[in-house]
Amino acid sequence: MTTIHAPRPTALEVQTDNYLTHSRGFLSWALTLDHKRIGVMYMVGVLASFFVGGMFALLVRTELLTPGQTIPGVTADVYNQFFTLHGAIMVFLVIIPSIPAALGNFVLPIMLGAKDVAFPRLNLGSFYLWVFGACFTLVSLAMGGFDTGWTFYTPYSTTSPAGGVIPVLFGVFVLGFSSIFTGMNFIVTVHKLRPPGMTWFRMPLFLWAIYATAIIQVLATPVLAITLMLLVIERTINIGIFDPSMGGDPVLFQHFFWFYSHPAVYIMILPAMGIISDLISVHAHRHIFGYKFIALSSIAIAIFSFLVWGHHMFISGQSPLLNTLFSLISFSVAIPSAVKVFNWLTTLYKGNISLTTPMLYALSFLVLFTIGGLTGIHLATLNTDVHLHDTYFVVAHFHYVMMGSALIGMIGGLHHWWPKMTGKMYSEALGSTACVIIFIGFNVTFFTQFYLGSKGMPRRYYDYQPEFQVYHVISTLGSYFMASGFFLTAYCLISSLIGGRKAPANPWGGGSLEWQCDSPPPHDNFATQPSVGDCYDFRSLRWDEATQGYVIDPVLAAEAAKHPLH
Amino acid sequence: MLRVRPSLVSNLTRRNAKKRTVAVKTRTTVDPFANSASRQAAGVFGMSLFLMTLGVLFAATMLGYVVVRLNPDPQAPFFSSTSPALPHLMLVSTLTLLISSVTIHATVKAVRAGSMVVARSRAGITLGLAMVFLLLQGVSWFMLWQQKFFIGSSMYAWTFYVLTGLHALHVVGGLVPLTLVWRRVRWGRYQPKNPEGLLYCEMYWHFLGGVWLALYATLWLGSLTWR
Ligand code: HEM
Ligand SMILES: [Cu+2]
Repeated sequence: MTTIHAPRPTALEVQTDNYLTHSRGFLSWALTLDHKRIGVMYMVGVLASFFVGGMFALLVRTELLTPGQTIPGVTADVYNQFFTLHGAIMVFLVIIPSIPAALGNFVLPIMLGAKDVAFPRLNLGSFYLWVFGACFTLVSLAMGGFDTGWTFYTPYSTTSPAGGVIPVLFGVFVLGFSSIFTGMNFIVTVHKLRPPGMTWFRMPLFLWAIYATAIIQVLATPVLAITLMLLVIERTINIGIFDPSMGGDPVLFQHFFWFYSHPAVYIMILPAMGIISDLISVHAHRHIFGYKFIALSSIAIAIFSFLVWGHHMFISGQSPLLNTLFSLISFSVAIPSAVKVFNWLTTLYKGNISLTTPMLYALSFLVLFTIGGLTGIHLATLNTDVHLHDTYFVVAHFHYVMMGSALIGMIGGLHHWWPKMTGKMYSEALGSTACVIIFIGFNVTFFTQFYLGSKGMPRRYYDYQPEFQVYHVISTLGSYFMASGFFLTAYCLISSLIGGRKAPANPWGGGSLEWQCDSPPPHDNFATQPSVGDCYDFRSLRWDEATQGYVIDPVLAAEAAKHPLH
Repeated sequence: MLRVRPSLVSNLTRRNAKKRTVAVKTRTTVDPFANSASRQAAGVFGMSLFLMTLGVLFAATMLGYVVVRLNPDPQAPFFSSTSPALPHLMLVSTLTLLISSVTIHATVKAVRAGSMVVARSRAGITLGLAMVFLLLQGVSWFMLWQQKFFIGSSMYAWTFYVLTGLHALHVVGGLVPLTLVWRRVRWGRYQPKNPEGLLYCEMYWHFLGGVWLALYATLWLGSLTWR
């Protein structure tokens, strides 16, 4: 069990000094160097972007209710802008920063027992880069938007008449550097600020995941950055390296883009996997099974992720040898992913599962990620991909992994750490109802799309054959239902801020360090550096009726100390 | 034996005193590190990660160059019939950049040894060499331009201007911290044990030199068989 020798603040002190009340006023937030406040600001930004991106998604789904035009005024060109904006916002403004920058910023230093990340100023800088990136996207909208798809494929992106292509390219470039600096900060923090006693293999698995993610952020994002700049040059002066009439190579763009963007899908999913490892263990009150396998599989995934980008380009004219190699290596990514899934299942097996809202999200993740990962295998198979490429099957696949897994993981984590971040408990009834609605709505929306895609419905099309309509209608209705779930979640969380019960330090029975400091944590997290044990050994925790939370029981702790788990 | 002028010494102490009062006022920021040595170790580590990132950026650019250089399409040849060779002036600029790498290293050594006056001159020379480098690159560009070698002339011209321009931009970006460092050296603000900002600047400068060598070699090899 984790023990902490720091003097515990009294109840009175907690009320007067936590990171939220430590200082007041707009500037105390805008110029803060406190990782917790920066994390909260990211969270607000990410959720606001999620709302905007979600609105575009609903517009896309609504437009697809009937073949041809459905919403008055929405022409095919406007529709192209809708799905492009939806994709770009969700990928670059929401999912990539959501877990590392928002939740990771809040939790990582506390989990390490550190006072802050290694470079607090750089951390604030990353946040403002994110803000600038978001502003560029708005500027792009004002200048006529963009309709290139989130993938910016050449030659369309160099010739598209939409006026906002260059600003959004700049925006994504800036967002890329925000992501790089966050990754750098986290790598250094994990290396240099681990407290005495926290060896690599005693870190919470969330930290392993964030660490593996950070490696990808630092090594893959620069490729995107330079690619976008080359694209900007080419679009500005109408000549460039992707232009075949000058001896350039448009497929080179795809190679560069996917060399970043495939690893980027692991920037999205790895942190979610880390959250799930922690949620499952804590809410099943059972020591995580196969700790080392889960930890090292994150690193394995990070390495593999650099070697499979070509599976997005099977029909781009790539040589058959390359196709075969990329297909083979893509299959092998399934191994570390499955290692994680089996270890999670084994942890649940004979666990003492509390069906809390975070646990419901973790269970949803398990189902949705399994479906998403397995359909990835269909796509990584050369001959099936020739049929499925650029159809709704791909759309369904990546929504299962990006939304069903990465985003669900982040919402689960948000519920898990919400009491810590805000000091308030939300209504379990509302939270879990919303989760169930989202789960059902999600599957109605996207499972239907597997069917649509395998029947030949292409992605990004405005119009379609009448025979597809019934499935489009089902999918759209599902998306409305799912949206209602998200609104309920928002209501549940926001209302907790007003009327929620005060959160105890450890509401779920977690063993990592953040559950040792108060909810919300004090400004500098820990008065003295805490010492650390096995954060998945929950045996010394006892439910305490008085505080409605878990506390360390000295008797149980002494008992546990006599029988170490390893 | 420290060769520090009295004015520098008083400067140092005055500044430290100022720092202390400021620190008392803004107690709200927390320092995650136990001491300045561990902070510097973390800084060096962070800086090397950043340089790795930039290294990947340049590597990708050079890889893109190789791809279009080897593109065999006879309809769209890499060189146009009037492509000039790489200007010899670039050899001089290469040398300038390499020497500036040596002088910034000498700056660090001098600060470490406590000889602030030597450090001042070395830092000044480094800054000067950096500007000379940029000037020479500009002159090279200008000479090529006069030979009607425009960015749209051929893929050879495009890649040449973009790659050298990308590197030059990073040098320009490096001038800002270099100037700050130079001023701080002049004011004697670095502690011999712990010249953090100067160290990071030195790392960046060596990196710029290394990247330039790789870039120049790539461009030179690429330009070889054009006639
Ligand atoms: C078991 C692991 C996975 C495999 C084998 C796999 C395989 C594939 C393949 C082959 C494609 C290309 C399909 C095509 O365009 O024809 C694809 C598309 C995609 N995958 Fe996966 N995938 C896996 C996991 C993931 C994960 C975890 C994510 C994200 C979190 C993800 C996100 C995406 C996205 C965004 C696309 C479509 C990109 C686009 O064209 O817009 N995949 N996947
Ligand atoms: Cu991929």
